Amino acid sequence: MITLSQRLKKQQDQGVLNNRISVRDRLLARELQELAQVLPTNCLVNHDNVNDLSSFMLIIKPTEGFWQGGSFKFGVNVTEEYNMVPPIVKCLTRLWHPNISEGGEVCLSLLRQHSVDGLGWSPTRRLNDVLWGLLALFTDLLNFDDPLNIEAADMYRTSREEFQKKVNEYVIKYAID
Amino acid sequence: MRIEEGKAVSPSKSPTMADGVERMDNESIKPEKMFTLKKWNAVAMWSWDVECDTCAICRVQVMDACLRCQAESKRDFYGKQDCVVVWGECNHSFHYCCMSLWVKQNNRCPLCQQEWSIQRMGK
Repeated sequence: MITLSQRLKKQQDQGVLNNRISVRDRLLARELQELAQVLPTNCLVNHDNVNDLSSFMLIIKPTEGFWQGGSFKFGVNVTEEYNMVPPIVKCLTRLWHPNISEGGEVCLSLLRQHSVDGLGWSPTRRLNDVLWGLLALFTDLLNFDDPLNIEAADMYRTSREEFQKKVNEYVIKYAID
Repeated sequence: MRIEEGKAVSPSKSPTMADGVERMDNESIKPEKMFTLKKWNAVAMWSWDVECDTCAICRVQVMDACLRCQAESKRDFYGKQDCVVVWGECNHSFHYCCMSLWVKQNNRCPLCQQEWSIQRMGK
């Protein structure tokens, strides 16, 4: 009896897990379609494995601002708990940016899971919002006052030219296709 | 008023009608049938008493079962899908299932960021 009930429980748990995946995949199927429809020409979505919608690469080529001319790859990983939790985004291209560390951590409010202000993740947000957020990190959302890469922000405050020079160095070294 | 008068045309009250008079002798009280209703098609219209929104969490209509319940094809004792709608004090509505998952993390309405408190539940 004990083994049977354990077995049943195990099956049930497995079932719940499978269903969560399927909910995520259902959401993803729709959101990726939406994303493809509005994707600007300077962005690209790339699935390594076409059978796995939950993990893909987002390539952004800023057309203005300090990082113009670079091609920046972001790894997007959508976990099973989506959309109750935000996707995990990592910058795979090394760059000199106040809000993206050299290790690839991205500081973007909407990717924060727990937040007391209204700017963090919410299940009403979609992949589109993530894309626009990342794009804006190169323009409007660029924030030197609350930096992740403090050195980069300090450098900007001291000398814009020096900052731009260092950005360019990194772009040429790491972010050219 | 006209209809009333029409109905009133019965042998007893209009003795001038020839065959009315005749029948009055046979069936003294029963009024003559002017017409018979043979078929009747009733048409009813209905609509939800609330604005029929899409649940902003799972993006399925709130009056349908949520995406999770659809995936798990959860059914109650009577075989109906038991996925109710919940309205917050802020008047935003979601599936109860969707909202209960979210409030565990953050007790705010995902649409307006107000503190979440339930106004009513049901369909």
